[in-house]
Amino acid sequence: MDFSIILDFLFKGLEISGPIAFAALGAVFCERSGVINIALEGFMAVTTFTIVWGSIVFQSIWMGLLVAIVTGVIISLILAVATITYRVNQIVSGVAINIMAVGIGRFLSQNIFNQETQSQLNPYLFPTVFGINSFAFALIPITAICWFVLFRTRFGLRLRAVGENPEAADTLGINVYLMRYSGVMLSGVMCGLAAAVLYPAKWINGMTGGRGFIALAAMIFGRWHPVGAVLAALLFGYADTFRIMFETKIPIPSQFVQMLPYVLAILVLVGMMGKAKAPAADGKPYEPGE
Amino acid sequence: MLRIRFDKFRLMELLAPVLGFLAALVVLLIITMIVGETPGNTIRAILKFTVSNASRLASVFSVAIPLFLSGLAVAIAFRAGVFNIGVEGQYFIGGLVGALAGIYLPLPKVIHLPVVVLAAMAGGALWAAIPAVLKITKGIHEVISTIMFNNIALALVNFLVNGPLSGRGEQSLEPQTRRILSTALFGKLNHWFQAIGLNVPNHVYLDYTLIVAIIMGILAYVLLFRLRFGFEIRAVGTSIDVSHYAGIRVKTVQLGVFLISGAVAGLIGMQEIFAIRGYYTFQIASGLGFDGIAIALIGRNSPIGVIFSAILFAFLKQAGYGLQLYTSVPNSIIYIITGLMIIFIVIINEIVTRYIRALRKKEAA
Repeated sequence: MDFSIILDFLFKGLEISGPIAFAALGAVFCERSGVINIALEGFMAVTTFTIVWGSIVFQSIWMGLLVAIVTGVIISLILAVATITYRVNQIVSGVAINIMAVGIGRFLSQNIFNQETQSQLNPYLFPTVFGINSFAFALIPITAICWFVLFRTRFGLRLRAVGENPEAADTLGINVYLMRYSGVMLSGVMCGLAAAVLYPAKWINGMTGGRGFIALAAMIFGRWHPVGAVLAALLFGYADTFRIMFETKIPIPSQFVQMLPYVLAILVLVGMMGKAKAPAADGKPYEPGE
Repeated sequence: MLRIRFDKFRLMELLAPVLGFLAALVVLLIITMIVGETPGNTIRAILKFTVSNASRLASVFSVAIPLFLSGLAVAIAFRAGVFNIGVEGQYFIGGLVGALAGIYLPLPKVIHLPVVVLAAMAGGALWAAIPAVLKITKGIHEVISTIMFNNIALALVNFLVNGPLSGRGEQSLEPQTRRILSTALFGKLNHWFQAIGLNVPNHVYLDYTLIVAIIMGILAYVLLFRLRFGFEIRAVGTSIDVSHYAGIRVKTVQLGVFLISGAVAGLIGMQEIFAIRGYYTFQIASGLGFDGIAIALIGRNSPIGVIFSAILFAFLKQAGYGLQLYTSVPNSIIYIITGLMIIFIVIINEIVTRYIRALRKKEAA
């Protein structure tokens, strides 16, 4: 096999895994603090639009990234207010945000670009390195930072504590709500980073294509651990890269190849069960005692 | 005395959806004003497309039928604490299995119609069976597995309709199956309504799915509130631990309720497939399964409540088209408003529940 194809595959795979990996990192923070986040898909639907918009308005991809992060945090705040302050069902809130996010992208695009399903091209991009969006390489240091924050800082310890046993954490003087708000907002930040890798050149309606959900599966497969989640995201990403690069050469119908990541996710979950454990208070709203 | 007090709380609980809807409406008017439409124009456009005449009103009810089935499917599962996010995939598969029975089984009409309905239910239940079994044997959370199965279902029907089951060349370039036999097609009930003096125009689809929906609603009510299994469903939904102690086989209940939910979900696409199109395609309306989650929630997971919330959702959908048609506001705003409305309703609900709890405590003291 040609060496350049292998290199191409390795780099392309990193770029394609990037959005899933960033979103999965966001999911780790969110769920470690005790909030299930099925709205990652919706967060990304918004940030993929705002990064294009922000870049064009400010004529800089870095400003676009900032806009994407800020809007990611804003939409994550909706989830935070509903699930943490008002203790509303987390799945229902996530579904509502996903419904809303589809509309936000299309509505803004219609009003800003006069087209409901796509934006205009954004010429302000990260430089291309080895044939891919160079921001994809940021995944490596950011994963390391996430690990450090979660396992080597006081903030990380507190975040994990409220996800495992909020009552005990509260007794020790940790602000449970603040920690959970941080966890959810960090998932909004991460979805902003995910948008920076996905395709900042243009927004297309539905471009997130289920990556938010795959990220959730990656997080579970990665056992709620940042490094594990990123490795799992790489598995999904490289499976998808393989599909994209060799789809035409594989003698099975393309639809079956498209199922691959989802079937893989199911198989991975089946193989995992019993070995992985969610944070003990994951999905449970915290109600302070009286 | 006690009776009156109960009603007071009950009334407050019913307030949440109304307040949530109004709050969402206010946001809608604010956004449309920013875009440059007066509130008067916006409201006129909405009313014009939803309730201005019999045709519009009947259309709202027509759109509400699949939404009701979707909400019902989610609600039944939710009563047992099972989150069936897979309704989406289940109706794509259910609709396909139903359509196959309609295409390939030559039967007389009286048998064929119930057969296609049962086939669609079987298809939906089948697609729900895999995540259901994964849940009770492997403990895989249904929210994750059903999301994956939704995507698998879409790819699968896409393959089947393009490949082995393709009826392409027969009548259209668009990928679709062969035509459903006339004995299995759903006719309209409009003349029934016309007979009792309701002016339902012929282009509106109030078809056999309305009967299917009514039957399903009644069956669901009987199941949940009159049968032993329904009691077990509600017990499991309230507390798994207590149900265990009470000797209820929790896993059997979860499996059963998942299959029933999938069977009802299988019917969601029937209106479009059997009444409107007359063939199956993977391009039937998508997203109804996710609407069902919100509909079930707003209808408080009761078959009767789901009727009202399905009509509310149908109203919103039609309102979106009205805005698109008569104002400069794009249809997509309805997604934003729908999402916001759900969030508002659940939050207001929570506030009301807390308030009631505080009141009860005070009264008890």
